[in-house]
Amino acid sequence: MLLPKFDFHEPTTVAEACQIIAEYREKAGILAGGTDLLVAMKKKQISPQHLVSIGRIDELRKLDSSSGMLKIGACFTVADTAASEVIGKKWGALRAGARALGSPQIRNLATIGGNLVSASSAADLPGSLISYGARVVLTSTSKTRVVPLDQFFLGSRRTEIGYDEILTEIQIDEPPPYSGAGYISLGIRASQDIKIVNVASFITLDSSGKTIRNARIVLGCVGPTHLRAASAEKLLIGEGPSEAVFAKAAEAAIRDSAPRGARYSRASAGYKRAMVGELTRRTLGIAWKEALE
Amino acid sequence: MSQYNVIGTRAPRVDAPDKATGRAVFVDDMKMPGMLFGALLQSPYAHARIRGIDVSAAKRLPGVKAVVTAKEAGLVRFGVSPARYDETLFCSDKVRHVGDNVAAVAAVDLETAMEAVSLIKVDYEELPAVFTIEEALADGAPLVHEEYPRNICAEVHQEFGDVEAAFKECDLIKTSSLTSKLQNCAFLEPQACIAFYDHWGSLTLYTSTQTPHYVQRTVAMVLGLPVGKVRVVKPYTGGGFGAKASASHLELAACLLSMKAGKPVKMRFDREQVFWHGRSRHQFFHTMTTGVKKDGTILALKNECYLNGGAYCSFGIATVYYAGSLLGGPYKLPNMKYDGYRLYTNLPASGAQRGHGGVIARSCWEQQLDMIAEELGMDPIELRLKNVMTAGDVTCNDLNMSSLGMKEAIEVVRDASDWNNKKGKLPKGKGIGMACGFFVSGAGYPIYRSDTYHCTVVVKLAEDGGTAVVYTASAEIGQGSDTTFAMIAAEALGVPLEMVRVESGDTDFGVDLGAYSSRQTLMTGQATKEAAEDAKRQVLEVLSKELNIPVEDMDIKNGLVVFKNTKPDFTALRTRYQKEHRGWIDNPGAEEELSFREASRIAYLARGTIVGTGKYRPPELGGKFKGAAVGTSPAYGCSAQVAEVSVDEGTGKITVEKMVDAHDCGRAINRTSVEGQMQGSISMALGEALFEEVKFDDKGRILNADLAEYKIPTILDMPKVDARIVESNEPNGPFGAKEVGEGNIVPTIAAILNAVYDAIGVRIHELPLTPERVYLALQEYKNKSKTKS
Amino acid sequence: MKKIIRLTVNNEEHQLAVEPNQTLLDMLRDQLGLTGAKKGCEMGECGACTVIMDGITVNSCLVLAMQANGKRITTIEGLETEQGLHPIQKAFIEKGAIQCGFCTSGMILSAKVLLDKNPKPTEEEIRSALSGNLCRCTGYQKIVEAVQSVSEDDVGPARQES
Ligand code: FES
Ligand code: FES
Repeated sequence: MLLPKFDFHEPTTVAEACQIIAEYREKAGILAGGTDLLVAMKKKQISPQHLVSIGRIDELRKLDSSSGMLKIGACFTVADTAASEVIGKKWGALRAGARALGSPQIRNLATIGGNLVSASSAADLPGSLISYGARVVLTSTSKTRVVPLDQFFLGSRRTEIGYDEILTEIQIDEPPPYSGAGYISLGIRASQDIKIVNVASFITLDSSGKTIRNARIVLGCVGPTHLRAASAEKLLIGEGPSEAVFAKAAEAAIRDSAPRGARYSRASAGYKRAMVGELTRRTLGIAWKEALE
Repeated sequence: MSQYNVIGTRAPRVDAPDKATGRAVFVDDMKMPGMLFGALLQSPYAHARIRGIDVSAAKRLPGVKAVVTAKEAGLVRFGVSPARYDETLFCSDKVRHVGDNVAAVAAVDLETAMEAVSLIKVDYEELPAVFTIEEALADGAPLVHEEYPRNICAEVHQEFGDVEAAFKECDLIKTSSLTSKLQNCAFLEPQACIAFYDHWGSLTLYTSTQTPHYVQRTVAMVLGLPVGKVRVVKPYTGGGFGAKASASHLELAACLLSMKAGKPVKMRFDREQVFWHGRSRHQFFHTMTTGVKKDGTILALKNECYLNGGAYCSFGIATVYYAGSLLGGPYKLPNMKYDGYRLYTNLPASGAQRGHGGVIARSCWEQQLDMIAEELGMDPIELRLKNVMTAGDVTCNDLNMSSLGMKEAIEVVRDASDWNNKKGKLPKGKGIGMACGFFVSGAGYPIYRSDTYHCTVVVKLAEDGGTAVVYTASAEIGQGSDTTFAMIAAEALGVPLEMVRVESGDTDFGVDLGAYSSRQTLMTGQATKEAAEDAKRQVLEVLSKELNIPVEDMDIKNGLVVFKNTKPDFTALRTRYQKEHRGWIDNPGAEEELSFREASRIAYLARGTIVGTGKYRPPELGGKFKGAAVGTSPAYGCSAQVAEVSVDEGTGKITVEKMVDAHDCGRAINRTSVEGQMQGSISMALGEALFEEVKFDDKGRILNADLAEYKIPTILDMPKVDARIVESNEPNGPFGAKEVGEGNIVPTIAAILNAVYDAIGVRIHELPLTPERVYLALQEYKNKSKTKS
Repeated sequence: MKKIIRLTVNNEEHQLAVEPNQTLLDMLRDQLGLTGAKKGCEMGECGACTVIMDGITVNSCLVLAMQANGKRITTIEGLETEQGLHPIQKAFIEKGAIQCGFCTSGMILSAKVLLDKNPKPTEEEIRSALSGNLCRCTGYQKIVEAVQSVSEDDVGPARQES
């Protein structure tokens, strides 16, 4: 499988990278880990004439939790995300997603930014990040803007990013006390799998642990983008956490999901819906347990 | 202590060091001076008439050295069985599946070749296509091949005994079915080859194949060359499992391009093309009815099977026969009726895959036997032990179980798995299941009708006496056959393994039908043994003359000459040897025994190069009925397996937690290799049971022609396999050995199906057992039991 | 247009002219003759092309040669030294972890990175570290046993598996 021909650019600063893509606009493709992009290019699905590698930009590879907020550079790898102690401690659902992604070799190359920009609802990182209320920083030569992740995805393979912008950073606030989150992606085999359904759930309890004050549930593979299970979230807020309530929320989440019954999809719409319910229930359970810790 | 010095050990494989260091050379690692790269133009349509092909633009592209279509290739028909030669190198009138071959280009590099291919203009007229059995059989369905009405490629109707009469005597008659999906062998190394045609008119083809001999004959036939001018060489090959067991268009195209361009031409499939080429396990639809007595005695089996064959026959005739004949054992079955149909459709051709034809049939039947056991209130193992065959039994379709450790294998897995404490006693969601199977140790007849030897082997002793070289055209494809033959030769010659070198996979070394139907250990093994014994006899004959001792009073063991009576004075021989090896630092000392090295050097001095030859051809096997040849073999391997699974009822996801496996391979030549075959075949079957399925869209295009969405098991999917070797002494095998490569894949799927039932109480009759299929079956079951109560 | 890159492969420095669309895998195989890394899929799905780049395993079919500029690469050919084979190579040979050998280079390199970081991995850690390397021949069991035997050797014969 040959790659199509292209010119290769390897800027070392974000400013330089922005300049290059501002010049070539739709003719440019941004290469981070390459695990999605190069595959798409080999399959001739896309053939950018200019490939701009951002892998050597140091500022895009940092992880910074010094400000009470977690700032992850776009080129921070999925392997490092899975291994990071601070992420594991406070953002366990993100770590679960990172661990579920691809294979060790793929995780070593793939980046957190790339996983978002690919805009696949089967991707393993957006779910938990949305559930944590993450934001992404988009940078161009002229401006920098911060977009909440749940407004970032416009459709399958479509995002808010303009031709002249680069996703440079992911920001996540520290979860409030008595919060917890869970992430499960259901696949067919145990590794290197593209998943059938994934669900991330995040809840915050009050200090007594008796009432759910906030809930965010994000469903993957059941629509063109990751979806918020809005009515399930609403149902949970104000309730006391319990298996029974989670089961009700799971039912609501099923109604919130909109899987395509496409013949060629990895599973039928009916099965996907059922799994939305099952995984919602299970991830809420994980989130509850974590919130009480 | 074993009576053998080399056989039965765990000797490391002869090829392992080179493979562990990256030194082993596979075809794609090879380069030749001036080498061109070839690329194929393959059909984007499942069924279309070719109205015209315009190659002018491709020919004009700088760097292009040859462009070939059916016009240049001719229309010589080939295939696997001569009765169904239904392919040509390139399509001329129409294409019959997506990926069917239309033209090929050779150019200075791959990029240019691919570009040239894209410049070839083919005028297609799309035709209606058939993809399923129903579509193929429908009234007025389009025909894939005009010569085959109703798209029936082959049908089989056999009856042994009288099934209907037997059913009348049965206390229980059970019918069930099993549907499988199209598989892919999914070996790690995609097919690749380099062809080089020289000025003397000789063609050398380096190729990744299981069957150099069949490739040689097909290339010679299709391209009109004498067989002796075609040399096929197989470098290291990265697995085959069936799909590399016949000549491919890739190989033929590379040969033709090299003949046209006068340069070596390299071609390879990318992963997608591996899937388009197909030639792996068919999709089977089995329906079976079994009748038994109250005490569990099996009286009769009626088996009906439809196979989706794809666009060409490939191995299909054998497949459709095997899907019936391989149920003749390993249980005593007096009455068996089989009706099988293989249909042409506009999908890539299916062919043979590990456990050829027998896997899905066995999976269907062994699940049914469990259903019967349950209804009879019998333990499944008891039912099987009740009916099991033993050595010397002959099946109703004339297959002779010359050795059969089936009963022993069942007992081994029963005990090793703690069956009696687990069956029916595991918590909900966990289950245990078992199944058995058997398989040929080499097809009794070649794929083309012939009295040919199935293999010929030469053992040549080096002039210095220190090394024995085994020349065989057999194919080491990863299974370890080179090591097996080195061990057999070493044992038969009486020398340590290090003194043997195996040169294999080259048609110049002799005839060998290759690595398929689990034949090499038994057949090539017999020929190797005979050749080594021949060489040894010649050495001993010379020695006998020199020392004046009868041949029978001597032997060679561990590289030393053994004198059965008194040790003679051989100092004269030794002196002669040493004189010829002045300067050598490893000459034998005065006190040492007479070595093989010395003896074989002396033999060389007396007779010239010592060459031992061996050959093997099975005796006439099988009955006289139509199709009696398929399923015959000089011996049969068999296995019993126990699977333990857990089922996540919330998602339907199955985890196979443990497999206990016992296989009767006759005498194990190399115990590590035998276990490796057992463990490896279980992983392939586990994939087939749980994950694997080639999927198509409604235009016949493959949706998952890759290793991401065609899911073979990863290391995390594989349970511990407790592999137990059950040894029998096979009278027809070398040192008592028979097969392990395929027989062991046969029971796995059924063992898993039976374990899943034990775990969740639901029978599933369609593969693979994806979480969705299991979940939906569970839901359906729950709904049914709700309406019942 | 070709560009010059510099990199270290198996402790040797190289300066090479590469095309932008050339993968690290093609560069290793075609330009350096290091054919131990194999092409099983060219899509990052099989692990046959695994090499070690700056201490981590990557699928070299998904890395551009230009991205390897300035990096340290270890291929299977780099494991053998004057002292002989690497213990993992020896273990793979001894334990029968090799059949067709097409996955072997990648398997051994994945195992090496694991054992370099974690000399006494659990079976689960071994399986998870090798989960990006497909093998169609062995069923993986003897591969696991080979890696285990290396980590056991480390602590000497005292440790007995019960
Ligand atoms: S060839 Fe690179 S992962 Fe398969
Ligand atoms: S040994 Fe053949 S793929 Fe692993």
